[in-house]
Amino acid sequence: MQKLGEFKLPHFFNYPPYFTLQPVRDTREKQVQLWKELIIEYCRAQKVFIIGLEEDFPLFSNRAIERSLSHEARVAFLSALVSDGRAEWTDKGHKKCLILWHRIQEWADLIVHFVKENGLEDNVTTVEEIRSGTESRGTELYGIDRSVLMRALKLLEHKGKLVIFKGASTDDEGVKFSL
Amino acid sequence: MRRRPGIGGLQNAAAARDQYRLLGENVAKLRTDLMKEQLSTFRSQLEDFARKHKNDIRKNPAFRSQFHEMCAKVGVDPLASNKGFWAELLGIGDFYYELGVQIVDICLSTRAHNGGLISLEELCKLLGQRRKGAREAVAEDDCLRAISKLKVLGSGFEVISVGKRKLVRSVPTELNKDHNEILELAQAQGFVTVDEVQRRLSWPSGRATDALETLLDEGLAMIDDGDKDGRRRYWFPCVSSISSYAGADTS
Repeated sequence: MQKLGEFKLPHFFNYPPYFTLQPVRDTREKQVQLWKELIIEYCRAQKVFIIGLEEDFPLFSNRAIERSLSHEARVAFLSALVSDGRAEWTDKGHKKCLILWHRIQEWADLIVHFVKENGLEDNVTTVEEIRSGTESRGTELYGIDRSVLMRALKLLEHKGKLVIFKGASTDDEGVKFSL
Repeated sequence: MRRRPGIGGLQNAAAARDQYRLLGENVAKLRTDLMKEQLSTFRSQLEDFARKHKNDIRKNPAFRSQFHEMCAKVGVDPLASNKGFWAELLGIGDFYYELGVQIVDICLSTRAHNGGLISLEELCKLLGQRRKGAREAVAEDDCLRAISKLKVLGSGFEVISVGKRKLVRSVPTELNKDHNEILELAQAQGFVTVDEVQRRLSWPSGRATDALETLLDEGLAMIDDGDKDGRRRYWFPCVSSISSYAGADTS
């Protein structure tokens, strides 16, 4: 089985026709489904948050079979993820796509869990601490995209679970939990 | 008997026919009686054999296949009913039933990929993977038997031959001769091009495109526009194994 780093690629990735957008509806549906799943799983495993459509994203081509996804195909698969609520275009030109292998609400739940696990209920911490501190190492929060984290935190703030405030340094914010 | 013209002639012919018919019936009855007796002896010998070799029949696919052939020769179908002597003695009624269920499951789960047509070889391989822990090994012959039982369900399960291979069809799609020939051609590399079909089968261009488009619509083919020479390839998942792509020769 082929691998990309540590990631095991599914069999369809080695079958040339899957790199061409299929014209027949049922076949296309199956194709889109497979690609959606692959993209999500790969991003989750490699902690990829942003995919640039015109960049060399490893899944977009398979050198072993000399095939690459056309721009149209890339747009089709990512748009399908956007429709599912599992991705968002970050620009009007649809050149970059944010992949939400966890939805914002799921990230929020993970943060709550993290806080409880580490006894931070009445504590204060910083946004950077949450995404790169020692406690977050080994958890899914480690290395999380900053904008995604902020959105999840804002969601929780809206529910009254925490307060975000300006921190000591200009580029980091503090968070006080009140779960 | 010489035919004579006129009514008299006709009456004679009728009488002669009747006599022959009666004679024929007698002969047939005699033969049947003899055969019944022979069969009855044969059957009880077969039953003894089955009792004695129960384990071998269960565990050994080759042995099992030969046993079935013997049964067929004397008109015994051990799978005819799930109850009754044979099923109870051998317990193989359940075996084929279970196999049938697994086959249906595999066909359904691969349908989106191969359009409802899967090679017997691939089916057996997937079955083997699924049955890793089971006591009984499964051979292609067992698959064929289980599938013939499935046909009774009328769900379109059928085994078709394409070239040297056997394919299992689990959808009602009818394949005509043109489609069959294309599938056979595709077995070499897993795909064909319009040019290749026209050239190898000496078809006019419309005929090749029509057949390929139908196969595409039925979900049996997938297009591939990524080759360097710019020629569209039509791939057929049913003639390849899911785990052996990457341009490998599948034959």
